[in-house]
Amino acid sequence: MENLTSLSSQQITRDLVPQKFGRRGMIWTGILIIICLIGIYAYYRQLKNGLVVTNMRDYVSWGIYISNFVFFVAISLVGSLITAIFRLSNIHWSTPLTRIAEIIAVSAITFASIIIIVDMGRPERLLNILLHGRLQSPIIWDVIVIGTYFFISVLLLYIPMLPDLKIMNEQKNITPGWIKRGYKFWGGFWKGTKEQFKISNRAIIILSIMIIPVAFSIHTVTSWLFATTYRPGWDSTNFGAYFVSGAFLVGAGGVVVAMYVFRRYYHLEKYITEKHFDRMGKALVLLAFLYLYFNINEYLVPAFKMKKPEEAHLTQLFAGEFAPLFWFAIVVGMVIPVIVLLTKKGRKPLPMFVVGIMVVVGAWFKRYLIVTPTLLHPFLPMQDVPQSYKHYFPSWEEWAIAMGSLAGALLIITFFVRIFPIIPIHETIEEQKEVTDEKVTSQPQLKEKENFIPVTTGGLLAKRQ
Amino acid sequence: MKMLMKNNYIILLLPFFFMLLNSKTAAQEDSVKSEEVVKLKYYNENNSMQYLVTENYLKIGKKLEPLNNKPFQLYLDSVAAENFIAKLTTDKSGKAKSFLPTTLKTIWDASPVHKFIAVVPGKEDETVAELEITKAKIQIDTASADGVRSITVQVTKYENGEWLPANEVEMKVGIQRLGSILSAGDEPTYTTDSSGTVTVEVTRDSLPGDAKGNIILAAKVEDNDMLGNLLVEKNVGWGVPTTYDTNFFEQRTLWSTRFKTPLWLLFMAYSIVFTVWGTLIYLIFQLIKIKKLGKSASV
Repeated sequence: MENLTSLSSQQITRDLVPQKFGRRGMIWTGILIIICLIGIYAYYRQLKNGLVVTNMRDYVSWGIYISNFVFFVAISLVGSLITAIFRLSNIHWSTPLTRIAEIIAVSAITFASIIIIVDMGRPERLLNILLHGRLQSPIIWDVIVIGTYFFISVLLLYIPMLPDLKIMNEQKNITPGWIKRGYKFWGGFWKGTKEQFKISNRAIIILSIMIIPVAFSIHTVTSWLFATTYRPGWDSTNFGAYFVSGAFLVGAGGVVVAMYVFRRYYHLEKYITEKHFDRMGKALVLLAFLYLYFNINEYLVPAFKMKKPEEAHLTQLFAGEFAPLFWFAIVVGMVIPVIVLLTKKGRKPLPMFVVGIMVVVGAWFKRYLIVTPTLLHPFLPMQDVPQSYKHYFPSWEEWAIAMGSLAGALLIITFFVRIFPIIPIHETIEEQKEVTDEKVTSQPQLKEKENFIPVTTGGLLAKRQ
Repeated sequence: MKMLMKNNYIILLLPFFFMLLNSKTAAQEDSVKSEEVVKLKYYNENNSMQYLVTENYLKIGKKLEPLNNKPFQLYLDSVAAENFIAKLTTDKSGKAKSFLPTTLKTIWDASPVHKFIAVVPGKEDETVAELEITKAKIQIDTASADGVRSITVQVTKYENGEWLPANEVEMKVGIQRLGSILSAGDEPTYTTDSSGTVTVEVTRDSLPGDAKGNIILAAKVEDNDMLGNLLVEKNVGWGVPTTYDTNFFEQRTLWSTRFKTPLWLLFMAYSIVFTVWGTLIYLIFQLIKIKKLGKSASV
């Protein structure tokens, strides 16, 4: 953001105001819509014919849908990492990334909820969770915590955006008209008064503090859906921390990919600089090491003991049917990113983008490997069951729905970027003013201000040093 | 250079596509030779209920895959309209059950040995399975002397117009439990002597019975080449009366119904939910306040 000092507020606003889709944007949106439509058609087939159109049977009753659900929950955690943990830790450089992280969180958690309903087979049975749910069941805890996390994420996306909505309202050349009306509806009441800023800043601090335990809960409870079940591969006391560390890794990977795409497509090089990539790269290395540590814990200890029921499961992962996927997830999703990102050249935008994709793809397969192989290795041997029960590979309907949900999450982000500024305009202007003031006064400490200046959400708790 | 880097990374991602293919091929069934198997099994329970079970499998290597919805016709002794037993179709487990109709009583009584024949409808001249059995009876009796309880089982077969002892018949003798027979003595199975009899001393004490202490004694001959499957049962009051503790389900536990949630869990869950959602509702009111402030500022 050091380049910003030379930019005027008008220039920043011009740069960051949402732009209409170009040709590439239209093609991208069109492809996502087509994938979504195929997914909807596959879901229509599932509704019409039942879950028999999937390849899930008595043993693998949680297949690609639940893998996808865990993936979405995981990637949604990045909202709490960048907008809350970084913010409360007084890390200012993440300011341009906060909205990217939050919209990823909102879109992912939306589709996590949708994919669970898809997995239920009969969506009307969702009502049974409310009517007959038992508070003793981790599934109910998951439903509660997902709903809560979604609500907090939406608020954390919306409240910091209020000043930007005012800026957008003031723009004259906004088309189509419904977008303009939308700005007015959602942010027309924001006048930028001292009192309004005071309330919104306090709300953002409360949300930032609150989202951290809720984010940890959401993924810990999701891990408990597995860990409270006595099965090889899931019977672990480590699962909560293992899931949370993996979630931060994939979320950070997702943000890096989004950073690169937005930077390149919207020419945001002045706002998302190489320094941002460098720092996100370092954060990714730390998170990859952390997740590797938990992976070693999860696999080495049971493998050392090789208890009989665990043996079949671990052998399948290490050297059997799932070995290629397993080693892909470990090597491509964790080891190679660490090696690449440890070098300065590796933390440049393009290598970071590729590493981000590797982390995200590796993480998706990792979730598949957490869910499926365990289900194929129950404690009691499979006897007198059809051959199809002993293997699992998703049917085309399952693939279409899963890919449709991923495309749907991307579509939410795409439309959001079309309508709202992906980099906070107001915060960027305020930061630019602060940096300019610092230069003018040539003092190391922040000058005490006589009049109230809204505190940027990038530094709510501590003054800039 | 940039392009090369791009390509390198694309190459790096290629294994991901190979793996998809790999999983797909691994999931496909092995191309092992397969053979269709049809089996007939004869059952006689308590000397009164007789039935046949037709089993149809596809044998792939060492594995048996049940064949669903396969039609068969069963005949007694010969494939003729007057010997017709039943037309049946296998279920999901590859099995179909049929009882002997009363219309065949005359044929059944006429001979001590009978043959069951299975054919596929429309191909009556082609026998797909057959089973020959000798008519047999199985009887169970109990005795109690000097505090020692014993079970006596006798198997007889019908030969030359009379019921003769069937020796060398292996069977399980014991107490009918859920799903199987718990052996009454020390051996898992017993074999009849020359008098067709087996006597087993009951070594199992204090087995839980029903509310009155009744347990079911059972003797079972399984897949005997000559006699088929025979089962006889007898109700005796040798067990310990069992009263079920229904109070167990009334307790507040993690496995109880939703109305019996443990109080500590209710307290914790509601505390967390009310605290978090209370704060969120407070924030909503703050948003409303921001809105009101905005309106008053514009006025």
